[in-house]
Amino acid sequence: MAEFEPKIIAFCCNWCTYAAADIAGTSRIHYPANVRIVRVMCSGTVDPIYILRAFEMGADGVLVAGCHEADCHYLNGPLKCDAMFEKIKKMVNTLGLEGERLRREMIAAAEAPIFAHVIEEMVEQLKKLGPSPLREGVKV
Amino acid sequence: MNLEDIINKTKTYYCLECGKCTAVCPVSRHNSNFSPRLMLERALMDSEGELIHDRELFSCLTCYACSHLCPSEVDYPVFTQKVRSLASSQGEHGDCAHSGTLLSLMRLMSRPNIKQRRLDWLDGCHTSEKSEILYFVGCAPYFEPIFEDIEVSPVNVARNSIRILNALGIEPMLLPNERCCGHDLLWTGDVETFKKLAQFNAEMIKESGAKKIVFSCPEGYRTFKIDYPQYVKLDCEPVHITELLAQNLSKLSLRPRAKREGSNPEVKKVTYQDPCRLGRHLGIYEPPRELIKAIPGIKLVEMEHSGDESICCGTSVWTNCSSCSKEIRIERLSEAKATGAELMITACPKCQIHFKCAMVDKGAEKGADVKMEVMDLVNLVANAMETQE
Amino acid sequence: MEDIRTGVYICHCGLNIAGTVDVEEVANYAGTLPAVVVARHYHYMCSDPGQALIKDDIKNLGVNRVVVASCSPRMHEPTFRRACQDAGLNPYLFEHANIREHCSWVHDDKRLATEKAKDLVRAAVRRVSFHEPLEIKERPLNPNVLVVGGGIAGIQAALDIANGEHRVYLVEKEPAIGGHMAQLDRTFPTLDCSECILTPKMTEVGQHPFITLLAYSEVEEVVGSVGNFKVRVKKKARYVDEEKCTGCGVCEEKCPWKVDSEFEMGLGKRGVVYVPFAQAIPHVATIDKEHCVYFLKGKCRACQKFCDAKAIDFEQKDEIVELEVGSIILTTGYDIFDTRRIQQYGYGKYDNILTGLEFERMTCAAGPTEGKVLLKNGQQPGSVAIIHCVGSRDENYHEYCSRVCCMYALKYAHLIKELTKAEVYQMYIDMRCFGEGFEEFYRRVCDEGVNFIRGKVAKVTDVALTEDEQGRLIVAAEDTLLGRMIRVPVDMVILCPALEPRSDADGIAKLFTINRRADGFFMERHVKLDPVATATEGVFIAGCCEGPKDIPDTVAQASAAAAKALSVISRGRVVIEPTTAQVNEVLCQACGRCEEICDFHAPKIISKDGLRVSSVDAALCKGCGACAVVCPTGAMSVRHSTREQIKGMVEALLEV
Repeated sequence: MAEFEPKIIAFCCNWCTYAAADIAGTSRIHYPANVRIVRVMCSGTVDPIYILRAFEMGADGVLVAGCHEADCHYLNGPLKCDAMFEKIKKMVNTLGLEGERLRREMIAAAEAPIFAHVIEEMVEQLKKLGPSPLREGVKV
Repeated sequence: MNLEDIINKTKTYYCLECGKCTAVCPVSRHNSNFSPRLMLERALMDSEGELIHDRELFSCLTCYACSHLCPSEVDYPVFTQKVRSLASSQGEHGDCAHSGTLLSLMRLMSRPNIKQRRLDWLDGCHTSEKSEILYFVGCAPYFEPIFEDIEVSPVNVARNSIRILNALGIEPMLLPNERCCGHDLLWTGDVETFKKLAQFNAEMIKESGAKKIVFSCPEGYRTFKIDYPQYVKLDCEPVHITELLAQNLSKLSLRPRAKREGSNPEVKKVTYQDPCRLGRHLGIYEPPRELIKAIPGIKLVEMEHSGDESICCGTSVWTNCSSCSKEIRIERLSEAKATGAELMITACPKCQIHFKCAMVDKGAEKGADVKMEVMDLVNLVANAMETQE
Repeated sequence: MEDIRTGVYICHCGLNIAGTVDVEEVANYAGTLPAVVVARHYHYMCSDPGQALIKDDIKNLGVNRVVVASCSPRMHEPTFRRACQDAGLNPYLFEHANIREHCSWVHDDKRLATEKAKDLVRAAVRRVSFHEPLEIKERPLNPNVLVVGGGIAGIQAALDIANGEHRVYLVEKEPAIGGHMAQLDRTFPTLDCSECILTPKMTEVGQHPFITLLAYSEVEEVVGSVGNFKVRVKKKARYVDEEKCTGCGVCEEKCPWKVDSEFEMGLGKRGVVYVPFAQAIPHVATIDKEHCVYFLKGKCRACQKFCDAKAIDFEQKDEIVELEVGSIILTTGYDIFDTRRIQQYGYGKYDNILTGLEFERMTCAAGPTEGKVLLKNGQQPGSVAIIHCVGSRDENYHEYCSRVCCMYALKYAHLIKELTKAEVYQMYIDMRCFGEGFEEFYRRVCDEGVNFIRGKVAKVTDVALTEDEQGRLIVAAEDTLLGRMIRVPVDMVILCPALEPRSDADGIAKLFTINRRADGFFMERHVKLDPVATATEGVFIAGCCEGPKDIPDTVAQASAAAAKALSVISRGRVVIEPTTAQVNEVLCQACGRCEEICDFHAPKIISKDGLRVSSVDAALCKGCGACAVVCPTGAMSVRHSTREQIKGMVEALLEV
């Protein structure tokens, strides 16, 4: 049987982490192809429903990544994201989801290697964990 | 089920077009685009299948104010429920409040492999692995983080429910992987997921061997009592906690709230908001009132509309929560204020959430006028009991 | 509603994409997606023929949604939007899938990269199906400019704009403009007199027909957005009628009470009614209410008695001035690091330890010692130590380099040599002489026999260990080049304190809705590519409020900010991006959560036809979407980043 390949959705803010992923590209920093990036204007605009919907649709992991606090294009986006994240974390924890499946990172535009590293690490962890318990009808 | 079947089942063709439904409808009072009478009329003439794309289909609160008065016994809420399931199959879902987060959590609870961590709040409650009585917690653990900002703690209601049961000598059983009852999904038209949830719950309950299921949430209660039997086999009796407590009043030894440290000793007058599910859906009007009246030092005063005339809290199934919803709440809270009561008691977590949310009001003209304490009946009873300690 | 007809274009980008992604397969796949009427692949979509494919399909096939899968949208989104617009399609009906930076360049497995590219294209096709045509709006603009801070940066910016014949309001909180530069004696490395080059500019400001100078004033409130700011300025009472005062100075002469002069850094005195310095603009007196005996005890009025112009007015009140401007330049400058914080250096404890600015006043011919370098006892020093990096390049205080200290320290060494022949010791960490003529000046000072000791001073003490050290200040440090501890006995120590953010920088930042960096200075929109703009459209920064810098850099930045403001003015209208928040008034309950979370004050709860609803000022809204997340009913959403669009992408990405 082929090795389990986790699916990851990464919500990346336009100004920092999306740009970091761009720079990972221009610098040819390779990372696993399990991730699909969704561009959002700010990490502070990531709605809990986006994350829940990703899990509903069968994502094995979700990454919410944006600027460091001081770099925010919109002043305090990261703080707003943190507040949202704390709530959604509690909800998915109640659902029994493993902590590693929902991750919050601050990755500046210059930190392309960190972006690649985070994806690598997530893929590795999710491979160990196997498919998400929130997936529809997956036999464990 | 197609539209014709729905019309047959809900006796829509008996409609006399008298308009009583619309006259009593709280939504129609504030939203001129919505009228139960016109909805039915349109259904009867809807050859193009346009009805299911009408936003207002999701505005109905399914509060039963209309059908309660209908001379032809047209079941408008069930009509709504069924038409919504048609609409839902075509991707219509109304305007989701809270971005649809709550409905999503409910759908996620239908996933077969989940192992929830939903019971980490049991602090000081006595439960047992095996008991004839099962307490159905409901969505409280999920609501908890969402409504922190308006200081509503549904988990606290669950905790107090168990403590009260403990005081009656009952150590209830809980389901560690209890699923959502499915009420909101059923009433938004997602019958498929509702069925899955019902099956999971029915199986777990069967395995548990419980004979009686106690609810503090009227929606769960209604769902188990009326809707589950249509889809799954349940060998146990659902009961609302207010019914159970009203039968056991003497065992509760309730004391005046005034003596409890830290609470407001001045509260004397309270009023009671009948949740639609408990009231018009199931006819439970008296047990909550008996409970309130049994607490010494507290006087129950009724609002202008009470009992079967009670007005809904303005939103149901986390959908189409709008300016109209707010108007309904303000209207209701004003009625509550007018009684001179300082405290509004309700028996439904959603009533509490919606009334408290209405008080968040920038500029606060309306919100401030109607500010008052809102409390779940379970908490009121628990407070009165805790004086014993 | 019209049918959605989507055109999908997969770019090869030479082999950049096609080398890893099977572009033909992706295009074929795209053709099978719902509402896709044409799917093509081409060598370079950004080229003219590439763009022509899109334009032709819009015209000939009725394509009304466009997806290009190529490089990053941060690169070519504007290009393809323009192509759509050229062909008559609203540019917002375009969506970009990033299959180069996020796919072909970061994966080498062709199968996986191709599958990923398909997913990304599918997501873009889904997203674009939810797109709506959006309109870029324009609004008239007020050409007036507010400049806050009357140091050299503010002066330069104000003059540049006023010389373009646009109205400038220059607000200065002190009684006179000039800032720190007015206090400087000579400027490095040319040694020209600071006042001589500054005074003409100050005079020009004072007389300029297009400059309204509001000295001794502070901004209290700013509302509105680029093009249309409303600013409330408090003009503090001077108790002197500015119109009548001739600046003759008799009042100060007759004032029986003297206090330390701020301008002279406490080395000289001024009257309680005073003109801060000889060349002050506006050249009028101000009564220092805090120290005025009339205000304190109700008696005196000496100044009033002697004022021929009848300018003294004890009844004067603070005045509120309302300004309407289109853009704002902040040039609020810096504070000097309080050297008392480093106790080992003994400032305030021992005599003859001066800060740089105090020494500036000392060497100034018009200063308190008439340009003589003197010890407290009136003697000339025989030796002087200059300690660099006091509070700069020090993790305990400020991590950054203050950028001007090395050079003025060299200037001091030169002046001391010229004026006293004393021994001079430069106690430095690194000599940073990077500007025009700086290195040459360093050489020159080296040749003048100045001692350079590389080492951060550990302490300054008067505890003598040898006879030679008796009665002197001993500077203890390690000479890191020789690797040995040294104690240098000197008569005078000059500290070079860090330049730090103004103590009121936080309040100013909030007032104008701009950001501060971790070091506390105002944050530029982009550190390299947009150094004088800020997060708030129409608010620019220049000079040391943005970070320590010397006069030439400050002036250059001020002119840059002026050019930015002029560019806003010459456009003549405000362009309002359509990607802003919008309110569904049916759903809005006027709870105000949106108003509370927005850092840009864009949403406001208003009364509209008797109903209270949230309303978004599009000119203020940045489109970040924080309001939409906290809106409980879903009334708030952001155009072009709607829940449906983002959720749609998520769903499409995971569908297969």
